[in-house]
Amino acid sequence: MVKPDSNYKLFIDGQWVDGKEGKTFKAANPANGETLATCVDAGKEDVDLAVSAAWKAFETWKHVSPQERSRMLLKIADLIDANAERLAMIETLDNGKPIRETLGIDVPLSSDHFRYFAAAVRTEEGQAVMIDQDTLSLILHEPIGVVGQIIPWNFPLLMGAWKMAPALAAGDTVVIKPSSTTSLSLLELAKLMNQVLPPGVVNVITGRGSAAGNHILEHPGFRKLGFTGSTEVGYTIADAAAKKLIPATLELGGKSANIFFPDAPWEKAVEGVLVGILFNQGQVCCAGSRVFVHADIYDKFLAECVAMFNQVKVGLPWEKDTQMGAIVNGDQLQKILAYVEVGMKEGAKVACGGKRITAGGLDKGFFMQPTILAGVDNRMRVAQEEIFGPVATFIKFRTEAEVVAMANDSEYGLGGAVWTKDINRAMRVANAVETGRMWVNNYNNLPAHAPFGGYKKSGIGRETHKMILEHLTQKKNIFISLSEAKIGLY
Amino acid sequence: MVTRETQVEELMKMPGAIAWCVLHGVSLFSCAGAFPGTVGRLLELKLVKDIDGFLRDLNDGVGQDALGGP
Repeated sequence: MVKPDSNYKLFIDGQWVDGKEGKTFKAANPANGETLATCVDAGKEDVDLAVSAAWKAFETWKHVSPQERSRMLLKIADLIDANAERLAMIETLDNGKPIRETLGIDVPLSSDHFRYFAAAVRTEEGQAVMIDQDTLSLILHEPIGVVGQIIPWNFPLLMGAWKMAPALAAGDTVVIKPSSTTSLSLLELAKLMNQVLPPGVVNVITGRGSAAGNHILEHPGFRKLGFTGSTEVGYTIADAAAKKLIPATLELGGKSANIFFPDAPWEKAVEGVLVGILFNQGQVCCAGSRVFVHADIYDKFLAECVAMFNQVKVGLPWEKDTQMGAIVNGDQLQKILAYVEVGMKEGAKVACGGKRITAGGLDKGFFMQPTILAGVDNRMRVAQEEIFGPVATFIKFRTEAEVVAMANDSEYGLGGAVWTKDINRAMRVANAVETGRMWVNNYNNLPAHAPFGGYKKSGIGRETHKMILEHLTQKKNIFISLSEAKIGLY
Repeated sequence: MVTRETQVEELMKMPGAIAWCVLHGVSLFSCAGAFPGTVGRLLELKLVKDIDGFLRDLNDGVGQDALGGP
C-alpha cells in the first residue's frame, strides 16, 4: 500500500528545508491512530523566508507569458493524474475520507482545476476603449503580487488546487498553509509542482494556525489573502486584511437547506439526502445539513432515508467498498457527538445513528454512525449551527413560502438545493433562497467552471470560476492622448 | 484555570472541554482547526454576553469532568 514519507519539510524557494525553530508535529491516521509522518511546525522566520522567496520569484513569474503559465498548469494537471493513486491514498490516510471519494472526486477535480485555469488564462483579455476621437483608454490585467492562502482540513488537495491554480494563472506567487490536521497531500502536490514551476513561485508552510497561520496574517508582505474555513476565523482574516488594506476572499461556514417537494424525483432525491450530508462524513462547508421535507411526504421520505442511512457501509477508508470513512480526528468527533446531545436536549429525536462506532475493527479510529435528527425546528441550535459531521436535521414544511422563509432564517448562505420536477417552482425557490450555490435535483457537485462562494456570513468572493481572476489581478489603465494639439488651458 | 487570555488550542487539550463548550453554545474547532486566538476573542465573536460567567462555569464544569465528576 502507498505510504507517505516519514518526514516532510517546508517547501520554500524550490527547496525542502527544516523549520528555523526546530518544532514539529505528527500527522496521524484518524482511522487507526497510527502516526503517518512528522511535519514542521513553522514559525515567524520560516514565514518571512517564504514571503521573501515568493517576492523574488514574482519579479520573473509576472513576466512569464500566459501561454507559458498555461502550459505549466497543464503539466501540473498531468502530473496529478499520473500520481493519482498515491495522492488519493495519502489523502485518505491523512484525512479519513474513503478512497472511492479521493480517487473518484478529490484528485480528478484537482487536476481538472489546473486544466480549467490553464484554459481560462488564455481567454483573458484587456480592453481598449476610444473615449473620444483623440483619446484611447487601455485596461490591462496585471498580477497582484504575493498571495497568502490558508486552507482547511476537509479537502486539503482540492482546496489547494482551488487556491493555487487561479493564482498561478493570474501571474501571482503563493505562500500557502494547509491545516496542521491534514498537511500531507498538499506537500505531495508541492513535490509535483516543483518539477514544473520555477523556485519560489509556490511555497508551502506547515504548522498550527495559532503560530504559522497567525504569522501569515500578520506579515506585511502579502498583497492578498485567501482563506477557506470557519466564519469565526474568517473574521480574523478579514481583520488582518483590513489592517494591511489588502483584499481577502473568504469561503466560510454554512448550514445549507436541502429542500424536498412531493414531486421530487423520488429515488434520486433520497440519494440526494445522503450525498448532501454523508459525502466526506458530512465535513463539507456546503453540506445539506438542513433537510426540509414537505409534510405530505415527510413520514415516508424519512423512513426511506433512515433505511438508506442504516445501510451505509462505514469502514476503514482505504477499503474500496467503504462508503463513509473516519471523522478527521477525535476533537471533531467529540464536537459532533456533543451536537447530537444538544439536539436531543432541544427535543429532536434520533431517527438513526447518533453514536460513535467502535465495532468491526474500528475501535482505534474516530467513526460515527450516519445520523438523522427528526422533528427538528429550524430555530434549534442543531439547525442553526454548523455541526460538520454526518448529521442531517429533518424539518417539516407545508408551503413554498414557509420553506423559503426557513431556508433564509440562517446566518449562512453557502449551498442549498431544491428537489422538484416543476421547473417553475424550482426556479422560484432557487431564486428566493439567499445562497451562493443552489443545486436543482442534485447536490454537492463542485466542478470547475461554476462559481462557488457564499452569501451573508458564508463568505466574500467566488472560486472555481474564472471570475476569481478578478480578485487575483489588478487593473492598469493606460490613458493615451492621440492628439498633437495642446489643451490650451495655459 | 481558563482565562480570557488562554489560547483556544490549549483549552482543547483539557478533557471534556470541546463537548462542554458545544453544550454551552460555543464550538472551539472548525474545518480551519482550533480557533487561532484566545478564548476571550472567540467568546466575543460568538457574542457570549457574560464572558466571565461562561469562564467561571467552564472552569467548574471542565474541572469536574477532568476529575471524573459529573
